[in-house]
Amino acid sequence: MDPLAAIRETFFQECEEQLAELESGLLAMEGGDQDPETINAVFRAVHSIKGGAGAFQLEALIRFAHVFETALDEMRSGRVPITPDVLKTMLRAADVLADLVRAAHDGSETEHPLASGLVDELKAMSGQAADEDEAEEDWGDFEFQPMAAAVDMPEAPAGPAGFVVKFKPRGDLYAKANEAALLLRELARLGQTVVELDAHEVPPLTEIDPEAAYLAWTITISGDTDEIAIREVFEWVDGDCELEITKQGPADGGFDMASLLARVQDEAPAEDEGPAVVPANAGEVDVASLIANLSPAAAPEPEPAPAIAPPTLSVVASAPAPAAPDAAPEAQAAGGPRKSEAGATIRVDLDRVDRLIDLVGELVINQAVLAQRVMEAGLARASAVAMGLDELEQLTREIQDSVMAIRAQPVKSVFQRMPRLVREVAAMTGKPVRLVTEGEGTEVDKTVIERLADPLTHMIRNAIDHGLESPEKRAAAGKPAEGVVKLAAFHRSGRIVIEVSDDGGGINRERVKGIAIEKGLVAAEATLSDEEIDNLIFMPGFSTAAEVSDISGRGVGMDVVRRSIQALGGRINIVSKPGKGSTFTMSLPLTLAVLDGMVVSAHGQTLVAPITAIVETLQPKAEDVHSLGGHARVISIRGGFVPLIDVGMALGYRRDPLEATQGVALLIEGEGGSRAALLVDAIQGQRQVVIKSLEANYRQVPGVAAATILGDGRVALILDIDTIVTVSRGDMRKAS
Amino acid sequence: MPASSSLTCLIVDDQQTMRSLVRTGLQQLGFRTIYEAPDGEEGLRQMLARPIHLVISDYNMPKLDGLGLLRAIRSHPPIQKTAFIMLTGRADKELVQRAVQFGVNNYLVKPFTVGTLKEKIEAIFGVLA
Repeated sequence: MDPLAAIRETFFQECEEQLAELESGLLAMEGGDQDPETINAVFRAVHSIKGGAGAFQLEALIRFAHVFETALDEMRSGRVPITPDVLKTMLRAADVLADLVRAAHDGSETEHPLASGLVDELKAMSGQAADEDEAEEDWGDFEFQPMAAAVDMPEAPAGPAGFVVKFKPRGDLYAKANEAALLLRELARLGQTVVELDAHEVPPLTEIDPEAAYLAWTITISGDTDEIAIREVFEWVDGDCELEITKQGPADGGFDMASLLARVQDEAPAEDEGPAVVPANAGEVDVASLIANLSPAAAPEPEPAPAIAPPTLSVVASAPAPAAPDAAPEAQAAGGPRKSEAGATIRVDLDRVDRLIDLVGELVINQAVLAQRVMEAGLARASAVAMGLDELEQLTREIQDSVMAIRAQPVKSVFQRMPRLVREVAAMTGKPVRLVTEGEGTEVDKTVIERLADPLTHMIRNAIDHGLESPEKRAAAGKPAEGVVKLAAFHRSGRIVIEVSDDGGGINRERVKGIAIEKGLVAAEATLSDEEIDNLIFMPGFSTAAEVSDISGRGVGMDVVRRSIQALGGRINIVSKPGKGSTFTMSLPLTLAVLDGMVVSAHGQTLVAPITAIVETLQPKAEDVHSLGGHARVISIRGGFVPLIDVGMALGYRRDPLEATQGVALLIEGEGGSRAALLVDAIQGQRQVVIKSLEANYRQVPGVAAATILGDGRVALILDIDTIVTVSRGDMRKAS
Repeated sequence: MPASSSLTCLIVDDQQTMRSLVRTGLQQLGFRTIYEAPDGEEGLRQMLARPIHLVISDYNMPKLDGLGLLRAIRSHPPIQKTAFIMLTGRADKELVQRAVQFGVNNYLVKPFTVGTLKEKIEAIFGVLA
């Protein structure tokens, strides 16, 4: 990629960060945040987007960002009051800006349908003339002071105490089997070092003399060390290298970051140049005493001079105040621990992480195989081998958890898409809505997060469209006009739980039941508990065309939501209180790479059923099992009948059905809440298994979701419960 | 006539995009030693730790803005002679006027070309070799 294209990509990545900052800042202000730094950050976000857009000539983006920025500037300076209406316009402008950024990224820079309207609004708000565009102003002639090419400035201006070591080995150094890297490592033990390599003498490869030395290093050592210690490091190479050691130290009287910053900070308010600059470490320094000891700022007058007098290098203007001697050591200590320079994150290709996860999966399997072999060998539990193995198991678990954590991300990335959705749906339905989010930092596997976006979008639309009442109805019920939709995430017993709740009217059970009867989903005379009625909304076919408004959209119902949650190994349920609102609770596994499984056998085959799908296990009694003719059977469980599916037959392992009393039934809940009982020969146990894709290694097999390798090295298939149930149902219909 | 390869430059901007653009420009002009900082405070820290000849700084940054950085530099004798170019948006005439009073050596309007960058640096140091 050419460098400019790479920078362009960086720009769009940064835009996303800026857009998130912009939105969260505006939302915070809407929530009453009056911190000047918030509005500054909001302004800076738009300003930066505009700046970058300029560099890449993204005209539509520049034009819009400019008007937006100007309006924000007016707001920042207090000329435009910060009212809810103004903030709403700003938020809409932020949405349009986000669209424009994405359009620019895709290269489809076209006019945004809402852009020109918003531009007019923003201009009217901030008093920009309607046709005012960025006119090329006459900047007049500033006279800048040329520098007397200050190239010969002193090396390393006052910094922390330390040494600068210039080290250039000669060929002899290497000939005597000395190694520069070892010397540098030795130096690093004396204190914190910053090493700079000077490689400019290295000739082209064809001219290189393998015996010669071309490299030189400049090492800056800070910390408690002395020249003698440094010289000692080079004792053995003395004469075989050029060595120059210079001491650098704090200027007399002590000087440091904190006092410099404090001085600048002190001047700031007097200058009226916006919000005060607060250094990050201000809290640790006794800024007040520092400032008190400084002479008052002697900065030039702030008002812009009409004609610029040739400015002198204003060294005299802001006369450096001597740092107070007693305050200096304190402040220096505070300035000591530096922020990590390079940031604490790295970007890694996702494939590499997945490869690592895969390998750790193999390791887990291998460890289980080994454990089983050791057990089979009849070694005592307390033997050294067995004990070592226990430790290995512990470590393997920890490695697995840590590796999984690499893929984990905070749900914030999907939560933060929701405020915009809420605004749009609220505008379309005319219902004022406030979105409350909680637990944005909760982490879960990246894939889970990605696949959560659609179900969440749908549920939030539903919550506003169907859940919340109209403002009039809310007023009649004595509720505030503004409805609340809450989105919360938290961890519970090794899973992530996500709740979507609203403070609306709750599920209209009469109506839901009426629809279900009308659709033939339940019998007209059926007596259903409140909970059962609420769960009807998850039935396939419950959502009707008449029901689908523009907003709840696309004709998908809650059954699709349930199916996508189940596809992730999750469960969803609803609790609704009439007049108080509804809460949808989704519980999802933290990762898709491992699965809690019930290991079962059917006709000599070992199979794994996902535990999340299993409601209970039971030993069928002869009197509970009824034949429907053919091989189709049902089993009566607490008065209700569910189909009994012989897993061995469903997968084609055997032709004749297993006698129900000889086996064990797993009561499972599949798609749409439908239940079935899976008949297997025996249950072997419950364990965590590493999921191996069958599709990637073999091909897709109906009824089988994936495979895994068990502790004894055997391959076991993981059942695709929904498919087995659906297919068996079809068979049953044929049979009856 | 200073050689651009012997000049050390510090780019201060909260945007990686801008820093990369300035860096690319400087590299084309033959600069070899280029440092970056995401805000004025970090920029100041770096200036106290290593010799810098030229600072190219954005104005609007978190923590310590460009004007604050300029003032801090001019108020501290060991670094006060460092050349300072302020990066500004188009409409910031007032800002440049203020920066001039604080001793800025030149300004650079975004978006800029390598030619302009060269011009501005040469206005300070003389023609680059």
